[in-house]
Amino acid sequence: MTGPLSDLKIVEVGEMVSAPYASKLLADMGAEVIKIERPGAGDRARTRGPFPGGTPHPDKSGLFLYLNANKLAVTVDLAQREGFEIFEKLLASADLLIHNVAPPDMDRVGLHYERLRKVNPRLIMTSVLPYGLSGPKRDWRAENLNLWCAGGVCYLNGGGPLSGDLPPLKTFGDQAFYQGGAHAAAAAMGAVLARLRDQDGQHIEVSVQESVAAEMEMVFEYWPYIKMIGSRLGQKPLQPVEIFECKDGYIYVCCIEEHQWRAFVDLMGNPEWATMEIFGDRLQRGINWDALKPFIAEWVSTQTVLDLYRKAQDRRVPFAPVSTMGDLLSSEHLKARGFFVEIAQPVAGTHRYPGAPVKFGRTPWEIRLPAPTLGQHNQEILGRRLGLAPARLEELKRKGVI
Amino acid sequence: MAKPPLEGIRVADFSWVWAGPFCTLQLAHLGADVIRIETKTRPCVTRMLPPWPENNMGLNRSGYFNQYNQGKRSITLNFKVPGAVEVAQRLVANSDVVVNNFAAGVMERLGFGYEQCRRLKPDIVMISLSGYGDTGPYSEYVAYGPAQVPLSGLSSLTGYKGWPPMHSGFSYADPNAGIHGAFAVLCALYHRAKTGEGQYLDMSQWECAMDLIPEGLLEYAMNGREPVRDGNRDAWMAPHGIFRCKDLPEKIMELTIDAWVSIACADDAEFARLADAIGRPELATDARFKTLDARKRNEDELEKIITEWTSQRSEHDAARELQSHGVAAAVCASNKDVAEDPHLIARNAFVRLNHPEVGAQQHIGIPWQMSGTPCAVRAPAPCIGQHTDEVLTGVLGYSEAELTKLRDAGALE
Repeated sequence: MTGPLSDLKIVEVGEMVSAPYASKLLADMGAEVIKIERPGAGDRARTRGPFPGGTPHPDKSGLFLYLNANKLAVTVDLAQREGFEIFEKLLASADLLIHNVAPPDMDRVGLHYERLRKVNPRLIMTSVLPYGLSGPKRDWRAENLNLWCAGGVCYLNGGGPLSGDLPPLKTFGDQAFYQGGAHAAAAAMGAVLARLRDQDGQHIEVSVQESVAAEMEMVFEYWPYIKMIGSRLGQKPLQPVEIFECKDGYIYVCCIEEHQWRAFVDLMGNPEWATMEIFGDRLQRGINWDALKPFIAEWVSTQTVLDLYRKAQDRRVPFAPVSTMGDLLSSEHLKARGFFVEIAQPVAGTHRYPGAPVKFGRTPWEIRLPAPTLGQHNQEILGRRLGLAPARLEELKRKGVI
Repeated sequence: MAKPPLEGIRVADFSWVWAGPFCTLQLAHLGADVIRIETKTRPCVTRMLPPWPENNMGLNRSGYFNQYNQGKRSITLNFKVPGAVEVAQRLVANSDVVVNNFAAGVMERLGFGYEQCRRLKPDIVMISLSGYGDTGPYSEYVAYGPAQVPLSGLSSLTGYKGWPPMHSGFSYADPNAGIHGAFAVLCALYHRAKTGEGQYLDMSQWECAMDLIPEGLLEYAMNGREPVRDGNRDAWMAPHGIFRCKDLPEKIMELTIDAWVSIACADDAEFARLADAIGRPELATDARFKTLDARKRNEDELEKIITEWTSQRSEHDAARELQSHGVAAAVCASNKDVAEDPHLIARNAFVRLNHPEVGAQQHIGIPWQMSGTPCAVRAPAPCIGQHTDEVLTGVLGYSEAELTKLRDAGALE
């Protein structure tokens, strides 16, 4: 059985996470992805770890290996005329182009939809850009941290009432770029479906900032609706919804509904303090959290994580462990579902990677190829498929075009 | 006239709270006719959560609900009353996609498991976005949005150096599941268009969130080590942090609203531009800071120097000045900053449609733009049951008399 997208051909010009994650989502569903990297250094993700043994190597970056499995890699310099011509040849038979070349660099190399449409009118070009392709911040530089902030979610996390001196806290990893990439993949598939009907290509631009801002839970609306600013400082409206330390790790104590709190109190053996009026309902527990927190902390500290998790879940209370990486990689539940996948890559070795975000009943998610080494498929794609003669390839290599 | 991509696709939306509605929001953005199946006997949780204008609660007044249900229709059914289940069955039979985010087994008990839906519509695409997935020993565990962040591993990786694990500050696994779920539905619709086959999609929100932390998981898989929490810093960039700016003078609703700017320097050249921007060009050649290794060794000191500069100006001025020197910087934006961002306003990123109960409120719109098949939010979020009559008569073929009978029996509550 092959993936549902096995008849789609994608060209990716991607660095780091946003565009590479979008094309990974499509590649894992069966699409062919040809990834174009800069000759020499390649995708910046190759410089970022984790690396086996901690030693940097461009073909051993855990981040790169994860994001680029199932892809073919060629090196082409789009800034050189001959490089752009090769790029156009690849696009002539492609269904999608997914890129995150920043707008000033798009202008510099001439990466514009109107130009590419002349090469292939059926092409769907998807531009995943920090701030989009218009507006006063179009050309602003941005790393993931900046966009997590610009999208309004970072301001909501960190510190707490007694730690106002600490800055807002970024969530681990390149989360803004993952969200931009996932939105880009969804929009691109929308365009693929539209093309079945209209028989025409088009240009999609995705703003990473807007993808993040769309995920602010209810907090965005606090401003338009009641002119209130959401902040990480101050008390939470209801409690307990906090991380506590057990004997052997951390657990998330989560009682949102009153029946969950009652079940938790019962689980704790109905201690006397739990009957105090100031803890009478979830709003009161929020207001009087400073008084309540030490009681819960003391009791939880006598427990072990998995035991408390199971006991709470047995009473339909939605506690969860604060999973460590080791917990996840050894979880019996994830093992039973076959979540992690082993990928053997000749240079980096065999490791376990996060697997399918969704299990398809008919058309499985699948890893067919490990991530490519830099320029691994130059010969196969540029030589055999585009028909460039060996002498020509040598010449382009000498000029630094490939 | 160009049509949106999913024109003619109908979604029977059994979902509630956030993950499922975020999934169907994307499908509505792409032009699908999303019909939410609600009940007045147990309204969607988000209808009962703030904010409400003037702080007056009302099922149709929640900004939370109204953000994530834009462009959808709503019908109300009370499954305990005879006739209501048949309405939902007819809706499934007239739909292309069924979406739910209940725990495993709930849809089966309601009579709308995949096998049951398939009998109603053989090529149906059905997705379930549950907390733990449909199989495995914990499949019936209870999952609430905020608990999925620690469960996924994100919390053990997130936190200030030397501090306990921290949350992400919002139920991040929910919208993450929603956007990936929408993508999966679109892939399945593509497969159906080519082969005529529908299928069932089993999403675990937990698993979907683990796809966002490969560096953490691979550090353990490759090297057997748990990553060390390190605040806003980054092993391959320095500076990389959020720096204090001049505080706003006022307290708002008893909260001190503080001001911060995020700054990241990808390489030595960008650091040299930063040094210029803050009026300290000599730092670029200072042995303590001129290479990444040196900056990582002296990062505390570096952050102190940068804070001396940022704390003298507003976060907006700091970001602008740094950007004018080519340095990646952005305001650590509050919801107010986002709402008033001149860039987002210039891009028409917001939607202001007239809603019968809350008026024309500002909402976040669609994060993508398409040149050939434009997407637009077509309607504000529905009031509860707003479209019951038009869907039953217009889509499902009920007569006025049948409608009245169902209503009188209480089936449409």
